[in-house]
Amino acid sequence: MGNLLEHMGIERDRVHFSWISSAEAIKFVDIVKEISEKVRALGPNTKLVKEYNE
Amino acid sequence: MNTCTKRIREIASALLEKKEVEKVIGFATGTIPMASNPIVVTSKQDVEKLVFNSTCGLNLANYIRNHKGKIAVIAKGCDARNIVTHVIENQADREKLHIIGVPCSGMIDKNKVASLFKDDIVEFIEDGDTATIKSATKEETINKKDYLRHNCSLCTHKNPVIYDDLACDEGEEQSLEIPYPDVDAIQSLDANAKWQHFQELTKNCIRCYSCRNARPLCYCPTCFVDEAGPQWVGKGQDETDVNTFHFLRAFHCAGRCTDCGACVEACPMDINVRDFTRKLNKDSFELFGWEAGLDTTRRPPLDSYSPDDPNDFIK
Amino acid sequence: MILSSKEKGHTMKFITIDKKDWAKGIENSRKAYQLFGPVKEKNGVLIKNLEKGVLPLMEYTDSVMSAKSVMFPQSEMILKTTLDESKEDHHIMKRVDTNYSPRAVVGMRPFDAKAIQLVKMNFDTKDFRDPYWCDAYEATTFVGLAVNKPGLYDFSTSAGSGPFGEDGLDVLLADMDDKYVAKILSDKGQDFIDIFAVGTSSDEKESQVLFDVLRKEAEKNIASAIETDKLKDKTILYLHEAPFWDDVAFSCINCGTCTYVCPTCWCFDIQDETKRKASTRFRNWDTCMSSLFTSHASGHNPRDAKTQRVRQRFMHKLKYFPDKYEEGIMCVGCGRCVKSCPVNIDIRKVAKTMNSYENKE
Repeated sequence: MGNLLEHMGIERDRVHFSWISSAEAIKFVDIVKEISEKVRALGPNTKLVKEYNE
Repeated sequence: MNTCTKRIREIASALLEKKEVEKVIGFATGTIPMASNPIVVTSKQDVEKLVFNSTCGLNLANYIRNHKGKIAVIAKGCDARNIVTHVIENQADREKLHIIGVPCSGMIDKNKVASLFKDDIVEFIEDGDTATIKSATKEETINKKDYLRHNCSLCTHKNPVIYDDLACDEGEEQSLEIPYPDVDAIQSLDANAKWQHFQELTKNCIRCYSCRNARPLCYCPTCFVDEAGPQWVGKGQDETDVNTFHFLRAFHCAGRCTDCGACVEACPMDINVRDFTRKLNKDSFELFGWEAGLDTTRRPPLDSYSPDDPNDFIK
Repeated sequence: MILSSKEKGHTMKFITIDKKDWAKGIENSRKAYQLFGPVKEKNGVLIKNLEKGVLPLMEYTDSVMSAKSVMFPQSEMILKTTLDESKEDHHIMKRVDTNYSPRAVVGMRPFDAKAIQLVKMNFDTKDFRDPYWCDAYEATTFVGLAVNKPGLYDFSTSAGSGPFGEDGLDVLLADMDDKYVAKILSDKGQDFIDIFAVGTSSDEKESQVLFDVLRKEAEKNIASAIETDKLKDKTILYLHEAPFWDDVAFSCINCGTCTYVCPTCWCFDIQDETKRKASTRFRNWDTCMSSLFTSHASGHNPRDAKTQRVRQRFMHKLKYFPDKYEEGIMCVGCGRCVKSCPVNIDIRKVAKTMNSYENKE
C-alpha cells in the first residue's frame, strides 16, 4: 500500500507501519517522534485533500 | 472465417448437442466496426453467432459467476487466468466450467487504430496478421502486431493456463527483459511529477465505473464506492474522490490482476487505468514471485502468510 | 460591414462570417459571455468552459460528452450551511453563489440542443421549476454548428432531430468552406450575433437555399435509423413482460457510460458533505444502471437485477417518456451510447427488437 501511494506521488515518509506491543512504551514514543519529524520535514500534505469549503 | 472461430463453433455445437453444457459464453460480431458483443448461446442454431478475432478485448471470466448448471466459456490467455482466480476465490466451480481455450495473438488497440483516421471507421476486416480498415475517405492496411493494446504487447501468457478444449494451436510465449517499462518510467519521476501524472490521467474520468465493472475481479456485492453506511468516499467529481476511487480500486486487485486490459478497453474516456494496477503487479512479482491466475493450487500472497514475506516496511 | 445595435429589430436572419474573422468574433463575445464549446483533449472531444484564448473546435465528428453539462454539471455544489451553532443561520441551507451571468455554447451539435429541450421537460414544468438548471438555461445562448458530414453513429434524423436541426438553438452555423453562415433563430441569438460583431448580412432566400442543399446532402449520409413507430400501439406491460430482456441485458456490465454520455439522461443524486463546521450539498449525475440508484433505505431494491435496470433504461427512453409527454422518444440519435458502450449494447438494435416484438401466444 505504501508502495502504491508512493507510486501515485504521496511521499513515502507520510505512511508508516509499525508493530508495537502495549508493553513497549519507549518504542511507541520513539516511533511517534520519528514519524513526526519525517512528516514535519515534508510539510503539510495537499494531495488527496479537498479544497472547497475552507 | 478464421480457423479459430470455426473450431469454437464446432466445439460449442458438440457441447450443446451432447447436453454437456447448458450454455456457451462467447463473443458475437458487434453492430459497429471493431466491436464485439459478449453473448450467451443456448441452442445449436445460435452457435453460428460465435466469433473470435482481435476485437474480442473484454474478459469473459466476468460472466461465469452465478450460473446454476454447467457452462462453457471462451477464454483467451488472460481470461483463463481470471478463471483460475475465480476458482481460487470460490467464485466459480471448476467442475461446472468447460473452458474453450483460445491461444491469443493479442487484441487490437481500437483507439490507436482510430487515431489513423479523421473520420469514423466504417469497416475493419482482418486477414491473418494484417487488417484492412476503411473510413469514408481513406483505407489503411495495418500490421496487427504494430497496433496491439499495450497489455497485449507485453503479454507473456497468451496461451490459456487451464482449458478443456483448445480452439487453435498454442503459440510461442515471449519473454521480456524489461517486463514493466511503463511502471519504471513513472517510478523514475519525483513525488510531485508522479502526482501530476496521475492527476492528468484521471482528470476527465466520469466515474462511470466501466473499468471496475469490466474486470472479472470486481464482484463484491456492494463496492466500497457504493456503500452508503458508512460512506467511504465522496461521489462527486472532486479530484480527491476520483483518485481515491482509482487508488482503492487498484489496491483491491493487488495480486489478483492479470493485466487483461478489459478495464482500459471499457473506458469511454480512454484512460489508461492500468497505470495503477501495473505497479501492484510488479510488486507482487518482485516481492512474492507471484503472477496472478497461473495455478489453482497456490493461495495468493495477500491471503496467505509466510515467515518469508518481506516485512522491511514495518518498524 | 460591422453590425451595429441600431440594426437590431429589423429581420436579419442570416449572417456570413469569414473564417478569418472568426477568432475576433469569439474574442468579442467573451466580453459578454462565459464561453463553452468543444475542445479536443487526450480523452476525446469534450464540451468544456473555453479558457481565455481557446477557440471552440469547429471540425470534429463526435464529441464523447454532450453539452448537457453546461446546465447540468456532473457535480454541482448547490447549497451550503454552517453547523456552528453560535451562528444565527446555522443548519439553514442556502444557495451557493453560482455565476449565472450570460453563457454561450458555441459549436454544439444540433442534436444536443434538441436534447436540452427534452431535459427541460423534466427540470422546468408547470408545477416545479428546478432553480439550478433553469437559471443556467436562461443564462445560456445556444450556438449550434450544423453537421455537414454526419459520422457513422449519427441516427438523429430518425430521432426527432437532424444534422441541421434548429430545435433549441439560438443560432445555427453552417460551415461553407472559407466562411460560416449563421442563421439567427431567436432574440437571444440576435443578441449574441450583435456582440460577436463580425460578419455581413446575407440574403435570406439565397442562404436558406444553401442551407437546404447542405442539409439534404448531410441527411443522405445518415445510413442508420431507430425504429420506434409501432411502440405506441404496444402496452407498457406487454413490452415489460417480453421475453427478450435477459438476452438484451446479458452482456451489460452495469457501468454508467451510456447514461453519462447521453445528452437526454437527466437523473441525479443528492449528496451532503461535511468538513469541520461547513456542510455542503451537491448534486451529482446518477445512473439507472447502478443498483444503488433504486436501493431503498429499508434494504429493499425494486430494480435489484441487471435485466430490470437495462429494461428500465430502454423502456424509459422509448416507451414511458413518449407515452407521458407525447413529444417523441427520449433519444436524439447522437449515437454516443452506441459508440461508447464497452459491450456493444446498441439502442437501435434494442428498439428494433421492441418495435418488432409480437407475442405469438
